Amino acid sequence: MLKYLAKRIALLFVTLIVAMYLTIIIANAGGLIDNILKAQLRYEIASSLARAPGWSQLNEEEQRKIIDERLQAAIQAKGLDRPFLERTFRYLVDALTLNLGRALFITSASGSKTVSDIIIERLPQTVLLFTTGTILYSIIGLLIGLYMARRPGGFFDKAFSVFAIVTQVIPPWFFGILFIMVFAYYLGVTPFGGMVSVPPPRDPLGYVLDIAYHMALPLFTWIFSLFGAWAYIARNLIVQIAEEDFVNTAKAKGLPENMVMRRHVLRPSLPPIITVISLSLIASWQGAIITETVFNWPGLGTLFYQAINSLDAPVVIGLTVIYAYLLVATVLILDLIYSILDPRIRSGRV
Amino acid sequence: MSRPGGLQDVVDAVLRSKTGIIGLSILIAITVLSTLALVYVPFDVAREWNNPSFWQYNPRLALPSWVNTFISGKFPETIIISNDSFRKYSYYLDIAGLKYCILEAEFLYPYKDFPSELRLSLYVDTEGAFVTIRWIQPSGVDIIIWKGSFKQGLNTVYISRQIDVREYIRDSLKRLNLTVPSMVNPEVILFMDNSVAHSEFTPVNGRYKVRVEAVSSDPYADIKAELIVYGKVYGLAGTDDKRRDLFVGLVWGAPIALAFGLLAAVATNFIQTLVGSLSAWYGGLIDEVIQRITDVYMIIPFLPILITISVIYRIDIWTLLIVVVGLSLFGGATKTARSMTFQIMGEQYIEAAISYGASRRRILFLYILPRLMPYTMANIVLSVPGYVFLEAALSVLGLGDPMMPTWGKIISDAYSGGAVVHGLWWWILLPSALIILTAISFAFIGLALDKVVNPRLRER
Repeated sequence: MLKYLAKRIALLFVTLIVAMYLTIIIANAGGLIDNILKAQLRYEIASSLARAPGWSQLNEEEQRKIIDERLQAAIQAKGLDRPFLERTFRYLVDALTLNLGRALFITSASGSKTVSDIIIERLPQTVLLFTTGTILYSIIGLLIGLYMARRPGGFFDKAFSVFAIVTQVIPPWFFGILFIMVFAYYLGVTPFGGMVSVPPPRDPLGYVLDIAYHMALPLFTWIFSLFGAWAYIARNLIVQIAEEDFVNTAKAKGLPENMVMRRHVLRPSLPPIITVISLSLIASWQGAIITETVFNWPGLGTLFYQAINSLDAPVVIGLTVIYAYLLVATVLILDLIYSILDPRIRSGRV
Repeated sequence: MSRPGGLQDVVDAVLRSKTGIIGLSILIAITVLSTLALVYVPFDVAREWNNPSFWQYNPRLALPSWVNTFISGKFPETIIISNDSFRKYSYYLDIAGLKYCILEAEFLYPYKDFPSELRLSLYVDTEGAFVTIRWIQPSGVDIIIWKGSFKQGLNTVYISRQIDVREYIRDSLKRLNLTVPSMVNPEVILFMDNSVAHSEFTPVNGRYKVRVEAVSSDPYADIKAELIVYGKVYGLAGTDDKRRDLFVGLVWGAPIALAFGLLAAVATNFIQTLVGSLSAWYGGLIDEVIQRITDVYMIIPFLPILITISVIYRIDIWTLLIVVVGLSLFGGATKTARSMTFQIMGEQYIEAAISYGASRRRILFLYILPRLMPYTMANIVLSVPGYVFLEAALSVLGLGDPMMPTWGKIISDAYSGGAVVHGLWWWILLPSALIILTAISFAFIGLALDKVVNPRLRER
């Protein structure tokens, strides 16, 4: 089990580095990161010099000369004059340690302009909405999948399969736009977007209820668009395993139906289900970007949208780095669960 | 895979199942729609789509015309009164040294709802002229809309929007001892009966007259006029906030969406299948390297990296296509193709091929890959909707192709233009319906193919 985990962790670490390095190469191919860093250095030098005594007595020519000299020194000290490859490795280390630099335009609610502050402030909202959503749709989907697998080929099974196929090809954000129109505009039962009312309620209970009220529609959308596909996958896996010889043997032995289901069908179908979850979670983390934008939910996705529209490159790059971390962490957690569930790995035979 | 499946099987499976036929018919309908694009729209859409003057004769945010068949009180169509419809009288008064030009036009207004906007354009062919514009209702009430001097060239009176127009109308009504509704737009006042106070407004049907009187000191002065009474319905799909005919955008979006989705799906699936089969067939170090790269590729944050590229390099839709393919060289299909190749490699005809000395490349391309084709076909069909929506998603984020009217672009314009918040349903539902229909057609065909592609083979 440890050997399996060690292998997976090594792979995930390589993935993390590749994803970040790719982002850095893409962003810096046109010299973008270099320019951003140089502009930030110049800004820092100029603002620290502006406070120096006697600075305002100097004329512009002299001021610029001094700034340029200091800038050259700072560029050398930071290693910005090194060759391209060496620089990108420096940036890679920065990215891995979440040293993401300063945003150009966007400010965090607490007033910080550091990219990591801005992102960390948004992270809980995204995790709140999508973890809740994912847990709920997995449970609902699994239950429906089990129900469908009981009578494969029945009316409910067929009807739900069509529903699953249709919802599977349409992304959640798309349902989002349609649902906002129906539930917020025509029926008026939900807000159009956002996370809290303006102004937010004062008392803690009211605040929580207000968030729940705003969260209802995005959560419903998220579950609605994903639980069908999920039930379909679970159903297929269960139906397949239920046809295996060892299940027939168990039934022939006269074991009760429920016990056969639990021990002989559900247990062996769990590991492949975990594999599917892990892939669908990767896709849904990314789908969350646009879903959040549509619902104006103040998480990472909306931040992405803001960064794109204000052309705030450091934030865009920082978010890509954070998403690499998020995806790797998701896969790592699921790998852990997988290694506990799969007896072959648990006993170290693989 | 008990027997070699071929492309014939794929076609048969689609035609034999109900879902396959439904899917195929929808797809054919959309293809017909996209060929209609070329017939219905003879102009260069990519160039005119963002050119406001091209669309100036269309109403803003108009409903589709077919809405009128479902309601009793009909929404007005746009009425354009061109210069030719104006009767023109002109005379020169020698004593005063003044030239008078009078243009008069009459039109029938049969609708039960007010127009959305009024616009009068005057082309003055002299140094300058003093112009009075009058509006004569069917009851004979004569309202002065505007009075003042116009410079040489094209002058436009935005009757619905200009503040001074409202002042003139109010003054006229006061002089005629009629009720002056406060806070009501000119396009409403001009079309209603102002002799009594109203609780609700309905337009008076009948023949309206517009009279333009111009006075100039130039004996050769001339004037041309054009009145547009913008309606509330337009075309088959309505218009957006920039007066663009959405039907044009929708039919043009179809070939773009299909081309983008199909090209991306075909390229990524073929490459992934090829790579997977190569990996299994050549084995050893190649297999190991390809498998590890695939593992890495499957976890990489695809969309954020794509967004970063779009933000930094501002790419158009076809460059985007190349980038998407580049980011999907390895993936799920690689893994499946690999495990299927392993299975095929154990079969006797491969052994036979090896024994009679077929080259390794020949076996891979002629004996193994064709066997993978039904599976690849199914995958292609199933992944098309994903790419169609990917383009739409990037448009919603503001990263779409700025010139082309794609479905995603229209939805994104509608979303940012407040269509959801103001209930402008046609602007958002019609492109959405088309995207959903396209996606469903592929999904249904894919469902039919599920029977060819044994689900057992999809699991590792």
